[in-house]
Order: sequence, then C-alpha cells, then structure tokens
Amino acid sequence: MHISRKILIPSVLCILYSVLLTACRGDEVIYPTIGTHVTDDAQKGGLYILCEGNMGSNKARLDYMNLESGDYYSNWYGAQNPKQVKEMGDVGNDIQLYGGKLYAVINCSHKLEIMNRKAQHITHIDISNCRYLAFANGKAYVSAYVGSVADPDMLGSVYEVDTASLEITREVKVGHQPDELCVLNNRLYVVNSGGYLTDRYDSTVSVIDLKTFTEIRQIPVGLNPTRIRKDSHNRLWVCCQGNYKDVAPQVVVLQDESVVHRIDMPCANISIYDNTVGILDAENKELKTFSTTDFTPYTLHLTLSTYEHPYGLLLAENRMYVTDAKNYVSSGVLHCYSYINGLELWQAKTGDIPGHLCLVPGAYDLYPDTTKQDTPVVYSPYIKRVYEYLPGMGQFVNELPKYAEGDDAEAMCRKCEAAIANNAGKMISLGGWGGYVTFGFDHAVENKEGRDIQILGNAFYMSGSTEYGSSEPGIVLVSCDDNKNGLPDDTWYELKGCLYDDPQTNHLYQKTYTRAGDTLQNPFHKQPYYPQWIAADEYTLTGALLPPQSVTVSGQNVQRILDFGYVDNKPNTDLEGTSFDISWAVDADGQPVSLSTIDFVRVYNAVAEILETTGELSTEVAGAIDLHCNK
Amino acid sequence: MVKRNILILLVALCAHAAFAENEADTLYSRFRLEEVEVSARALTKDIIIPQTLKGAELQRLNALSVADALRYFSGVQLKDYGGVGGIKTINVRSMGSQHTAVYYNGVQLGNAQNGQVDLGRFSLDNMEEIQLFNGQKSDIFQSAREFGAAGNVYLTTRKPYFKTGERVHAHAKMRFGSFALANPNVGVDVKLTEGLSFTFDAEYVYSNGKYPFRYRRVLPTGETAYDTTAVRQNGDINAVRTELGLHHYYRTTGFWRLHAYNFWSERGVPGAIVNNVWRNGERLWDRNTFVQGQWQDEWFNRWSTRVLFKYANDFTHYKNYDERLLPSDNQYLQQEVYLSLANKVRIFNWWDASLAYDYQFNTLARENLLLNAAPEHFSRHSHWLSAATAFNIKEYLRLQASVLMTQITNVQSPMSNPKITPGIFVSFRPYPKIDLSLNAFYKQSYRYPTFNDLYYTDLGNADLRPELARQHSVELAYTISNQKSKIKNNVGYEISASASYYYNRVTDKIIAYPKGQQFRWTMLNLGTVKINGVDAKADMSLSLPLQFVLRTRLNYTYQKAIDVTDPNDTYYGHQIPYIPWHSGSVVVSLDWQSKRGDHYGLTYSFIYVGERYCQQENTIYNYVQPWYTHDLSLYGEWQIQRWYLKANLEINNLLGQDYEVIQNYPMPKQNVRCTLAVRY
Repeated sequence: MHISRKILIPSVLCILYSVLLTACRGDEVIYPTIGTHVTDDAQKGGLYILCEGNMGSNKARLDYMNLESGDYYSNWYGAQNPKQVKEMGDVGNDIQLYGGKLYAVINCSHKLEIMNRKAQHITHIDISNCRYLAFANGKAYVSAYVGSVADPDMLGSVYEVDTASLEITREVKVGHQPDELCVLNNRLYVVNSGGYLTDRYDSTVSVIDLKTFTEIRQIPVGLNPTRIRKDSHNRLWVCCQGNYKDVAPQVVVLQDESVVHRIDMPCANISIYDNTVGILDAENKELKTFSTTDFTPYTLHLTLSTYEHPYGLLLAENRMYVTDAKNYVSSGVLHCYSYINGLELWQAKTGDIPGHLCLVPGAYDLYPDTTKQDTPVVYSPYIKRVYEYLPGMGQFVNELPKYAEGDDAEAMCRKCEAAIANNAGKMISLGGWGGYVTFGFDHAVENKEGRDIQILGNAFYMSGSTEYGSSEPGIVLVSCDDNKNGLPDDTWYELKGCLYDDPQTNHLYQKTYTRAGDTLQNPFHKQPYYPQWIAADEYTLTGALLPPQSVTVSGQNVQRILDFGYVDNKPNTDLEGTSFDISWAVDADGQPVSLSTIDFVRVYNAVAEILETTGELSTEVAGAIDLHCNK
Repeated sequence: MVKRNILILLVALCAHAAFAENEADTLYSRFRLEEVEVSARALTKDIIIPQTLKGAELQRLNALSVADALRYFSGVQLKDYGGVGGIKTINVRSMGSQHTAVYYNGVQLGNAQNGQVDLGRFSLDNMEEIQLFNGQKSDIFQSAREFGAAGNVYLTTRKPYFKTGERVHAHAKMRFGSFALANPNVGVDVKLTEGLSFTFDAEYVYSNGKYPFRYRRVLPTGETAYDTTAVRQNGDINAVRTELGLHHYYRTTGFWRLHAYNFWSERGVPGAIVNNVWRNGERLWDRNTFVQGQWQDEWFNRWSTRVLFKYANDFTHYKNYDERLLPSDNQYLQQEVYLSLANKVRIFNWWDASLAYDYQFNTLARENLLLNAAPEHFSRHSHWLSAATAFNIKEYLRLQASVLMTQITNVQSPMSNPKITPGIFVSFRPYPKIDLSLNAFYKQSYRYPTFNDLYYTDLGNADLRPELARQHSVELAYTISNQKSKIKNNVGYEISASASYYYNRVTDKIIAYPKGQQFRWTMLNLGTVKINGVDAKADMSLSLPLQFVLRTRLNYTYQKAIDVTDPNDTYYGHQIPYIPWHSGSVVVSLDWQSKRGDHYGLTYSFIYVGERYCQQENTIYNYVQPWYTHDLSLYGEWQIQRWYLKANLEINNLLGQDYEVIQNYPMPKQNVRCTLAVRY
C-alpha cells in the first residue's frame, strides 16, 4: 500500500489537530437549550417540567413543552437566564403558577425562585430547606424543613411571602419535616411527614389560621403524610406513605377537618382535575383514577409496567402527564396520555428526576439562536379531516356538535373536527338510524396484519357483565381515493361485522327524515332534532339496519354487546373490541375485496331503537386512531 | 548463572533480612545510590512489574500526600474533592476505588464501614516507597489477604540505616504554603543495640483551606455569561500524626518489628458549590490508631515463616453545623483485629510454594447523638486461606498461580458461602541478555459489601452479594541501560518502557438504586462494567557531563470503561462516570551535583486528565472538560559535615487553571509550598 506524502501529512496534521482540539480545555459554555419536535398533538398553552437533579449535582433543570407546536425544550430556564450564576440550582422541588408569575422551590439552593411566565428570572427569596408551595389571597406559602431559628425538636416552618412586594411577611412553626400544603376556606393545611425521623414518622396535618397565622390544631391522618391536594368538593386528599415496613401506605380524604374516606394503596403522587383524582402507585407501577364525588374507582387505569420509577403526575383537560424518573441519576421521560381512552400520545426525554409539572397559558418558542433539531415527517395517527356529517334526526342533533345560527354543512364538519380530530377527545352524535360521519387521516391507512383502525365511542359494560351494557352499534365503511380528487366520492366497502350474515339484518334499509316530523322532543332535549344546517325539508338515508339490540336485564334497559365489527359497541379501553380490520371489507354483493390502503372512513348508526328512559340509540364517535402509524 | 539468579531472587524476597549488621556499611552505600536512581532496573525481575516511586524521586515531586504522588502512575484515576483536607481516593483500572487495597508496611488499611481509604491522610514525609501492583504483588510469600484485591498500593515507611559508629539520626522539617499551610515534621532514629533500632516521626498539618476559585461561563457567542470568584470555606484542617517503630534484625535471616500509628484530625467538609450555596457547615473528626507487628524468619534456607498482627481503633465523628439543613450528629467507632500466618517453602531451586491463613474481626458501633438511642453494633468475621506456587524455568519463563478462599460472615446476616478466586501470572523473557519481558495475568477478585452497604439506615441491603472483578492483562516491558559509564560520570543512560493492554469486567456491581416510592434508595447488585485499557509508561535517566542528570517519566492511560448492565438503559454502552478516555503525566527533572557534593534540581510536571462525564449518561449536560496542571519544583541540598540541609520550593497549577476533578468541587488555582529541612 502506498500513501502519498501529500495526503499523509495533511491527514496526520488534521487528526493531530482534532485530537488537540478535544484534548484542550476551552471556555466553559453554558448548558445548551435543545428543542425537539415530539408530537403533532396540538393542545393549548405550555407545560413546565421541573427536573429535580440529584443532591449536590446542581442539576435542577426547567424544561418546557410548547403544547401548541409540540416542541419540547430541554433546559429552557438556561436559555431565558444564561447569566444566572451556577444555573437554576440544586434539587428543584416544586413549581407553580400564580398571578402571572412562576414560582419554583429549589430545595438545596435554599431559595424560592420567582420568574415571569416565560421563566425569566425576576428575583429569588432565601428560604432554608424549602419544600413546597401553596397560594391564596395574593400570598405564597412555602413549607420548609427548618425555620429561621433552628428548632431543638427539628420542627419545620411555613413562610408567608407577599406576591406583590416579594418579601417574607410571616412565619409559623409546624410539625416535623412539613411537605405539601394547601389553602381551603382561609385555612392552611400542611402535612407533617417526619420523613427524616426513621421509625418516628409524624402523622399529622397542621391547620393554620391565615388571619392570625398560628397553628390551630393538628389533625391525625396516617403515618408519614407527604402530599395534600384539595378537590372541587372542598375535600382534602392526603397521601400517607406509612413506614415502609408494617404500616402500609394509604390515601386519606378529609372533609371539614375529619377523615371521611381511606383508600389503601401506595401513593407516590396524586393529581386532581375536575371530578377525577389520579393516584400514582409507583410500587405496582399503575395509575388509578377515582371519582372525587363518591370515591368510586373509574375504569380509566394506566398500566405503567414499562416504567422504571413512575414519579410525576398531572391530570389536565383532555390529557394526563406521567413521568418516569428511571434510576434517578439519568434522564427521565415525560409521557402524555389521552384522557378518554388512556392511550399514550407522545413522550419526551427530560432532565434528571422529572418530578413537578405546571401548565401555563402561554405557548412560547425560543430565541433563534437555540438549536431546534429537525425530525423526519411524522404522520399523525389521529383523524385529520371530517368530510361529511349528516346525522339522523335525534335528541343530540344540533347539540353534539352544537349548531349555531348561520352554520352550513361545512361549518358543522369543522366543528366535528374540533371534537374528534387530532385526538381532541370530545364526541359527536350520529343521531337516529343512518346518520353518518366521514373522516380521513393525513395519510392513507395501510391494511396490515391484524386490526388497522381504532374508532372510539362511549360504550360501556353494565356492572359485572361483559355481555350487556350501553351499545349503540354503528357500521364502518371504507373507501380508497381512486379518482385522486381528495374527496370521499369513490366506492364504499362495508367492514363486515358479526351481524352481517344474520338473517334479521336488512341490508337494503332506507329512511326519510322530514322537518315536519321533528315533533318528538323529550323533556331533556328540547332543541330541534332536524339538522338545522340542511336547507331541504327532507332527506333520505340508506344502509343496513341491524336487528333490535335492547333487552331488559336485572330491571335495567341495556343492549347486547356484539362480538365484533361495530363502533360504539365496546368500551374504549378494549383496544381489540374497538378496532377494525380493513381485510373485513366486502363489496355491495357481500364478496370480500382486498384493499391495501384506504383513504376515507364512514361510520353510520345501524340501529333504529328509541328507549323510554334514554331516548334513541345513536352511535357516538369520539375519534379514531391509525394503529400502524409511524410503526 | 542460575545460582546468581537465585541469589538475586533471595535478596529480593527477603529484602529486610538482607540488611545484616556486618554488611551495614556496604548496604548503606547501596541505599544511598538507589536513592538517587530511577528504580526500574532492579524491578524487572518481578513477574508483575510494579509502578514505583521512592526515595529522592518521591521527594522531588510536587506532592504533599500519597494521593498526590499516585497521580503519576498510569491506570490510576484520583478522586479529589479539593484542598489539603478534601477526601482523596483512587480508582485503579476503572474497577472502582473499593477494589484497590492499600497496605501500610505490609498490612492492609481497612475501613469496614465504607471501604474507602483517604489517601490524602498519608503524608510523604515519613514515606520511603510507594508501589502499585496491578493484580497482586509478585512475591508469593505474602499474607492470604493480599491475594484478594484487584489493585494493590503498598506504602512503606522510612527504615533506619546506620553507618558504623552511628547511633542517632534525626530530622526536622518545616513546610509553609498557600492557604495558611503550616506543616512541621520531626523524626529521630536511634540504634539501641546492634540489631535493634527505634524510629519516631511526628507531623502536624494546618491549613485554613481558604483558596480562591472561579466559575466563568460564556454564551455560545463568546460573550461572558457570568464570571464569579469566591473563596472556598469550611475547608480547614488540623491534623497530627505520630508514629513509633521498633525494628530488630537478628542472624542473617530473621527480624521483627512493631509499628504504632496515630492520626488525629479535625476538618471542615467543604461540600459542593451549587447555586446560592457558597459555604457548608459539616465538620469531621477522625482518629485512627493502630498497632501492628511483623515477625519473619527462614530455616534451612528453604522454609520461611511470617506472622503479622494488627489492632486498629478508628473513631469518626460527623456533625452538621449548617442551620439550613436538618441537624445531624453521628459517631462511628470501628475496631479491627487481624492475624496472619504465611509460610513459604522452596521445594527445589526453581519451585516455591506458599500457604497462608488470615483472620480478621471487625466491629462498627454507630451512634446517632441526636436520637439518644443506644448505639447500633455490627460485626464480621473474615477468613482467608491462600495457596500459591511459583516456578522458574531457566531464565525464560516464570509462572505463578494462586488460589484464595474467602469466607466473610457478617454476624447480623446469614452465613455466606466461601468464595474461591484464582490468579495466574506468567512472565516470559526470551533473551537472557536483553531485559525484555512479556508478562500476562488473569485474576478474579471480590469486593465485599461494607457495613454501610449492608446496614446503613434505610439504605442498606443485608442480602448483597460481593462484587466480582475479572482482570486480563498483558504487558511488554523493555529496559536498556549503559550503566558502566554512569559510574564514571560520563554519558550513561537507562531507559525502561512498558505497555499493557487489559480487559476487565466487573459484575454484580454494588450500586445505590431507588426503591419503591418516595426518594428512597437501596444498595443492589446491579451493574456490569466492561473495561478495555492501555497503560504505557517510559522512564529515562541520562547522566550528562558536568554532573548533570536528566530524568523523565512519562505515563499515558487509555480507558474505555462502559456500562453494559442493561441494553434498555439510556446509558447502555456509555463511559462510566469520571473515567476519562485519555489521561497521562510527564515529569522532567534536571539535577546537578557540585564538586563538593551539593545537589540542586529542577522538576517540571504535567498532569492531564481528558474529557469525561460526571454521570452515567454521556449527554452534553453531564460533560466535563479536560483539566491539566503544570507544576514546578526547585530544590537544593547542602552537606555540612554530618548535617544535611535541604530547601524546596514548589509552585503548583502554574497557569492557574480553574478546574474540578469532581463536579462542583473546585480545585485551587496557583499555589506555592516551601520546605526547609535539616537532617543529621
């Protein structure tokens, strides 16, 4: 082998140079902020993710997710505040938005960091060993493991900070190692964990009168309470960790300062939205939800078996956010789930120990100088467009979605999109028999092995049964854009369900709805049942009519749950039961057809039954998912 | 030829015994000669060639403690939290600091509580030699326990030597330096009878630890983001060390010695510098006391016996005065009793075999002074039984094999099964007249869980298994010299160079892992690390005309130490924390001897530690830049009759680099030390 000197010398120099370049110490550049596009699931506003970082590592990191653009920014605080000496600090422990300002508790930097909504530093307040935050009446309340004067019994304190002057105004001594706190009816409730007193954990909630800022009493709740949240019924939910030995963890519910309910389960984190409380069980790796009204468990339940250590939790409108802290010394993951069916929508890599989540109204982008990593084109697995919407007359017509004066068919399609496209998680009603909706994705759906599309509804089983429940079956039609005009005006094929060959199924049914016949209003739904955006005074729908499904079981009016092949027939949590295989397609003669991809999906209500108690059976559609997208 | 070889071997094996009284004069001059020479020459006789720093070379380095000196060895990474008082531990060939055993005059220094030996505690003032053996010491005549560690650091303190007619040697030293360093040292050696001598050495160290450090960060545009200089707080140290030794050589083969050691210190724990925290308030008091003895003799020129014993009593008190944190006040008392019996027999002139048994009893009493609870007690019994053999086939091949059985029973845990670990060492020297050798070894060793790993409140896990390290290493070593001309003070040289490649695998690594809910940790046998490394070193000494001697010492280490625990981890295949891919050092010194015998010398040293990551995951947020320091030292030594005077000036971190060895623990910028010593 011969290498000419001309090549050899420059290449050796080049290698030497690159070795020297990495071998030498350069200026220490601040940590970068990196933006990554993680999802097309557009929601409102933004989400802050406070990553704790390990003690002594000075790696508390504030990340930000722009929920509208789907961009995730790591080290957002660094970009907003590059001149903060030694960055955000050591161990981020809580973050909340109040009065247009963002407050973060940085535990081992002993400070309350105060920022604007964009996380630009305003000031900080020194509070030793501060832990958690609560707000009321223009004041911030901060719990701390130590008071301004060291207590011989190691009691902690709560500080009051005026959010206008940004100064500490008052301090009150509470129990051992106070953690979370919240304000209800002008009283402050602080959990005293005693977490640093192994085998002598505390078990109380301190009640502080906000007028006098004195402790009125301590309510015994359970061993080692660490979290406290209030719900919309003025109740307080307290997570007690037990002693990790013989005393088991539990969730305790307080009303009027006395215990009204207990749930025996581990509770690493808790979040309440509307009438739902989510409790994160890190030991068994699952998220359970309960009603805050009557404490009954909801069917919505996430199995987090792929997690290493479930840690942070936030329930919000339409979405649930859960974090995985992994082994606590490497980066974590933020997962986002749909509220409707518990399906995972996206995930993003976070800093170390993503623990605390905070929604903000603003959707921000970064300065131009930060790098936003390009990601390949990502198709959305969710409905992109609704092409047609024509319900049969019924009690939810003109309501789901809501008709407004002047809306035409096109406007109603856009309203349907707002409800069911992009995994928005809301619902539309197809009204009486034959009513339909036609939708498509931002790509053609492939016919692969197994089921291809999941279509969501609002069916559920009756208690203790999977044979009966609320089923309002709709038939699915699919079509390919053969003429390539982008419109659903091609041949439709029916996806053959279990009742297709039933002799009682009428495949050539049709029904005409007239404006004059719109006189059957029930006491609950008094609006017109005739679609108001239709100019004509009558319209005719055609299709198949399934045999009657309603039966009376244990005195309840319910429907038979069909085996397979119908929308709004099984609960959304049953992935297979709500999914459809394009291979089921048959032509008008009932002969199977082989479709490799489809562009349009139509769902129509296939039953014509009106029940005394609940009105007519009408298929509801709450969204659809291409099960193969990006796989 | 064979006979001469054996003679050399004998001298090497029974080095102490060889200092027979009637040969004192010649041996003394030999010692004097060795003191100023690079020592590699004699050591190529070893099957495992140790890295050695001794005598004058050790004194020439810019080093205050043993930890500082170990930075000049290849394959070694030093963890240094900064300042005189900061904890300093070493990690040999990336296997973890607890796989390295440290021996003080042949007996291991233990810490059953956390398995860490703070090498910053051992000053160089009383040190004669520091050696690092990868695998194990060449000599099969060793205590059983010495077969048990993956890396071995031997610290040997000064032994007394007397010329005929001399009865007393004494020395006194005073060192001053930056950050209010004051470090006096006195010592005396007394010959009591012809064979019996006594040594005493005492040292005091004070430093306020207040060194300036600077954090400067720039924006990607180059504009300064922030630039802050502060002074390190709570890094002060007050320490007193006293040592007593009694040595007795009798006949030509036997000797015994007793050594008593006491170290007391009070220091601040300076802590991590993080946002809004510029000082910490933890204080640490240490008292380490031990008495150890050794007796050794040989019979019929064939049978050697050595007995070792030790009693150690270590007290640690840790108290937090930082009012921002929850108070803590903990006290630990450790005690250790150790006994060892080793025998070696020469079966033939070319075949040796040895058998050794060691027993150790450790206790730990832990007391939380805030809780007013009774102290908790933990204890363990350890037994080691070793068998080893060594063959020499002519001059070409030397072979050693050893097997160690270890049984460690923690009284508070169920009985554990004994573990058996083998080791095999080969040295091949193809040409008798050329000092070229090819050495290789394979060895297994266990790191046992410490009391903290097993029983630390809430964190300990009594079910831990020991952590296993498997080492494979090959080495090529070559020495070339032209010694005759050195004696004539003409141009003479000696160059020795060696390169090793090693592959290590550490399994069942004991790590802290979060458990269940909340922020709680436990210790688990979770972790596998694969290490591929190359150590290369070259020593050269060159005698120049006009009585100049130039010496260089080069070291380079490449290590790829990756985490291969679980392919699902985000850090799978990543370099483990704080292990640089590249590191090395250069020492160049020039000495000059005047006609009347005065010595002058200038030493320059450069230490380089390359880029690395501070956490498991190799992301830009965990990246740590390389650091490197330039140090200079200048000395002069004058003889006035029987008095030797020495002055030494050291300048460390000459260019004032702002660096951290451990993240958030800033190291000192430029600093100076000045030493004045007198020896009689």
